[in-house]
Amino acid sequence: MTAAIEEVVESQLAPASPNKLPPSRLLPADILSVGSSGLRSRKMRTALSALGIMIGIAAMVGVLGLSESSQADLRKQIEALGTNLLTVSPGGGFGGGDGVLPEETAAKISRIGPVEVTADVVTLEQSVLRNDLVNANETSGITVVAADTNLLSTLNGELSAGIWLDEATGATPNVVLGSVAAERHGIIDVSQGIQLYIGDEWFTVIGILEPFPLAADLDRSALIGQPVAAELFDAELNPSIVYVRTDPNFVDDVRAVLPATADPASPEEVEASRPSELLETQNAIEDSFTNLFLGLGAVSLLVGGVGIANVMVIAVIERRNEIGLRRALGATRAHIRRQFLTESLLLSAIGGVGGVALGVFVTWVYARSQGWDVVVPTLAIIGGIVAALVIGAVAGLYPAMRAARLAPTEALRAA
Amino acid sequence: MTDISPAALELIDVSKEYAGSPPVRALDGVSVRIERGELLAIVGPSGSGKSTMLNVMGTLDLPTSGVVKIDDREVSKFSERRLSAVRSHLIGFVFQSFFLLDGVSAVDNVANGLLYSGVGARKRRERAAVALRTVGLGHRLGHVPNQMSGGERQRVAIARAIVNEPSIILADEPTGNLDTAASETVMDLLRALNDAGSTIVVITHDKEVAQSLPRQVAFRDGRVEHDTSLAVTQ
Repeated sequence: MTAAIEEVVESQLAPASPNKLPPSRLLPADILSVGSSGLRSRKMRTALSALGIMIGIAAMVGVLGLSESSQADLRKQIEALGTNLLTVSPGGGFGGGDGVLPEETAAKISRIGPVEVTADVVTLEQSVLRNDLVNANETSGITVVAADTNLLSTLNGELSAGIWLDEATGATPNVVLGSVAAERHGIIDVSQGIQLYIGDEWFTVIGILEPFPLAADLDRSALIGQPVAAELFDAELNPSIVYVRTDPNFVDDVRAVLPATADPASPEEVEASRPSELLETQNAIEDSFTNLFLGLGAVSLLVGGVGIANVMVIAVIERRNEIGLRRALGATRAHIRRQFLTESLLLSAIGGVGGVALGVFVTWVYARSQGWDVVVPTLAIIGGIVAALVIGAVAGLYPAMRAARLAPTEALRAA
Repeated sequence: MTDISPAALELIDVSKEYAGSPPVRALDGVSVRIERGELLAIVGPSGSGKSTMLNVMGTLDLPTSGVVKIDDREVSKFSERRLSAVRSHLIGFVFQSFFLLDGVSAVDNVANGLLYSGVGARKRRERAAVALRTVGLGHRLGHVPNQMSGGERQRVAIARAIVNEPSIILADEPTGNLDTAASETVMDLLRALNDAGSTIVVITHDKEVAQSLPRQVAFRDGRVEHDTSLAVTQ
């Protein structure tokens, strides 16, 4: 307002005082076209130097997008599995105890008020062989486990094929394979009645499980019914792990009383844990990898910035005559400085926007290939563009100052 | 000599020294007065100081001592910023190698003559089109420099110099890069502009070009060796 009035007053005064000349003025609307003129006339070079910034920004946006997408997926998994799952297992303890839970542990735990459902598994010593002819040591690292029929519902597990153990199938020599166990034995189809040789007895494969993210041990197990385990192998049914599903509001309370409930005689030898905490730890580990990759992205961004500074220095040297001409046409040093700074900012803005687009695209492609939801944090998008602009400003500062300092007479000297 | 109307450009006892060992005295006590509406040549061999004259007259460089006045403004006392304003409003330059921006149309090259005077983009283009018609290139508005002959390019450059209606036009070897025919077209154009009222100084080493103009100021070793207008009055 005042500036506008001053301008009017100045223009009215101008004829009265002949020494008053209006100052040189580059309209704000013109700065952009002046700043982009150099880029427009050298398109290839513009594209290449913007590419440097673009790669850096794309790396950072991609890393942030991918980590966010994978974390969102982990969170989704945890949510699906529930944070209300607890496990009870015999721990080392201080008493040098026997590391065995009493047989009736699961039944006792299920009497705790907020506990919804429990299931126990007993790890057996028997080995799983493809048939009775192979070397008895070739167990493929698969454990035989006697499982409660409740197990699948307690873990929210699902079958990928066949059926689960029930009262009937669990009492006869039938086996359900964990996902890894099935893969190691090359079994996909359960309709053929394939048999496995477990501890000198033949068991029929009746089902294959989907992976258990919260109980990965079970993926490498061959699960049989507890009645058949007791009958054929004379097994003692002391649980190796009891899985406990509780009311989500009392998880910590239940966890606190679990050891004493499981083994009142030596509660210190009982370990009660919450598997979802492990996934959260995994999250934290992935976070530190993200930081590493972000660091690498920052380095490539820096290299891109040096590239822009380099190109701008060359541009200033090459365009001495243009600088001289502009000074002769009335440009002030500030106008020249602004022109080259704008040019550098535009260059980095092109790189920044392109980099964000590329980063989002890479995230999209990879997240989709992993079956994740695509999540790109807004902060990464805004941050990417801001980082590019900051780099452009810093990279352009020295070349712009150099251009502005160039004396018009020197700049006009024929090249 | 008492004058009521101020000179278009006046140099009073101007010296310019460049640092070095030994220092170079490019101008040595030069006094030249250029009236409004004049057309003159500043002529001399290379090293005579005429390039320094161009720089000092064009406010691209300040004298070591002496006074430079343009339109009665003592520009030799001006700050860097005000000198930019002087160049943007009062002076039009024409250079030997044209200095047109590549890939930019004739009309936009000419409009650049107003870029730093605060005129809006539309108005600049309108006035640029008028200036291009004045130099006989009304049919070449959209052409870029490398679609044009040398003579045409220099006429575009002249249009750029006149588009801000300057008090004085400084043409540095305007025909230096042109063949005879194109040179003549350009010189005829300058004479026509002068007839229409423009004040024009042609800096040249070419005696023939200088002779074709109404007044010659000859330089040698940084001094005025001969000024035809003084010869007449004295």
